[in-house]
Amino acid sequence: MLIKLLKKDLLLELRSKEIVISMLTFGVTVILTFAFAFNVSPDLMNSFAPGLFWIMILFISVLGLQRSFAYEKDFDAYSLMLTAPVDRGLIFLSKWMSGTVFLLITELAVAIPFVLFLQLELDVNLWSLWGIILLGDLGIMVGGSLVSGLAMRAKMSAVLLPILMFPLVSPVLIAAVKASIGILNHQPYEEWQLWLRIMGTFIVIFALIGYTLFDHITEE
Amino acid sequence: MSFFSQRKNQLWLGLASVLMLIDLYLIIFVTPIHPEQQWAQRIFYFHVPSAWTGFLAYFIVMIAGILFLWKKDQKWDNLGLASAEVGTLFTALVLVTGPIWAKPIWGQAWTWEPRLTTTLILFLIFVGYFMLRAYGGHPERVSRYAAALGIIAFADVPIIFISVKFWLPEFQSHPQVEMNKQAPEYLYPFLFSLFVFTIIYVLMIRYRSHVLSLKNEALSE
Repeated sequence: MLIKLLKKDLLLELRSKEIVISMLTFGVTVILTFAFAFNVSPDLMNSFAPGLFWIMILFISVLGLQRSFAYEKDFDAYSLMLTAPVDRGLIFLSKWMSGTVFLLITELAVAIPFVLFLQLELDVNLWSLWGIILLGDLGIMVGGSLVSGLAMRAKMSAVLLPILMFPLVSPVLIAAVKASIGILNHQPYEEWQLWLRIMGTFIVIFALIGYTLFDHITEE
Repeated sequence: MSFFSQRKNQLWLGLASVLMLIDLYLIIFVTPIHPEQQWAQRIFYFHVPSAWTGFLAYFIVMIAGILFLWKKDQKWDNLGLASAEVGTLFTALVLVTGPIWAKPIWGQAWTWEPRLTTTLILFLIFVGYFMLRAYGGHPERVSRYAAALGIIAFADVPIIFISVKFWLPEFQSHPQVEMNKQAPEYLYPFLFSLFVFTIIYVLMIRYRSHVLSLKNEALSE
């Protein structure tokens, strides 16, 4: 059933491309504002880069989550989905996974203007860096999907989502930035592996809570 | 029947008032002036008990949330909201008294000390909690969402604390840990203050739960 739900989210996006295109465009706009606001030497920019990157990801993930849950709100598709004999926890898991996939696709595209416009010099193992990005995305999206489920039908859902989400996912932001700095500065793995464990713990705890709670909070 | 016309609640009010007066007397007149921190140290008798009460309150929000989602009884929702309100009040006191102490002792009003930072993040989450309560839509649905948020928020506390602690490892000074090492003349008034704040917390959530249940009755009529 999870596969079916996930397929539904991915198929919808494949047809409309609404979520990824909005996230990508917004991402490039954010990079532009960074370039204008931080007109500093390349060395300084390199040291800011991990923080700026994750701020951008946090911003675009809010946009993606809003679009993803707006699909469900339009035509009251969500209520219809709840009438189907589906484990509600699986709805949460599918939103989390599809959100992470959309975020990853966006990042693959947005990474190029990020490095280009901010004139960064990347001399790292890209596989390890993408590993951290994947973990960070899973963390941001697990918290974000959970909060979206709560805020989706509120009057001010667009405002509530970032207000609730940013403080809740702050451990992921700290950990993702610290781990990225570790990789970019060629620090030994032992020095920053703690941050991977923090992200891992966050993901496991929030996934379990989300899976359990969604069943209780979506009773209609 | 009003809240304070009940015998039991009068006793709680009396107990809390007398204990608070004794607490103030102990802090101002009995506790010796600390040789290093002088008068600034006395804010600990309010700061740490406020933090303890705030975290206790948020813990109760989580427990009430679990019970509400499980039993579907309105009284747990009232307790959760009451505890969230009181908890946020005490958390705000922590955020005010922290900088007042830090300015003369550490030379700057705000530092990213792990406990203080965790308190700030929790405070922000609960500001969002009240916004969700206010703008969430259908009241019955909002109660469920708020219960869930209360559970999520408290489950996040240890992860926030650990990540902040290792984020800036230079801030390892925990006032409360130092407090335990103090001489008895500092320690006992402090422990008494912790007890008094807990009693005040109990009185406050009893009162707020009562008001909320009246409000629900009025709305359902």
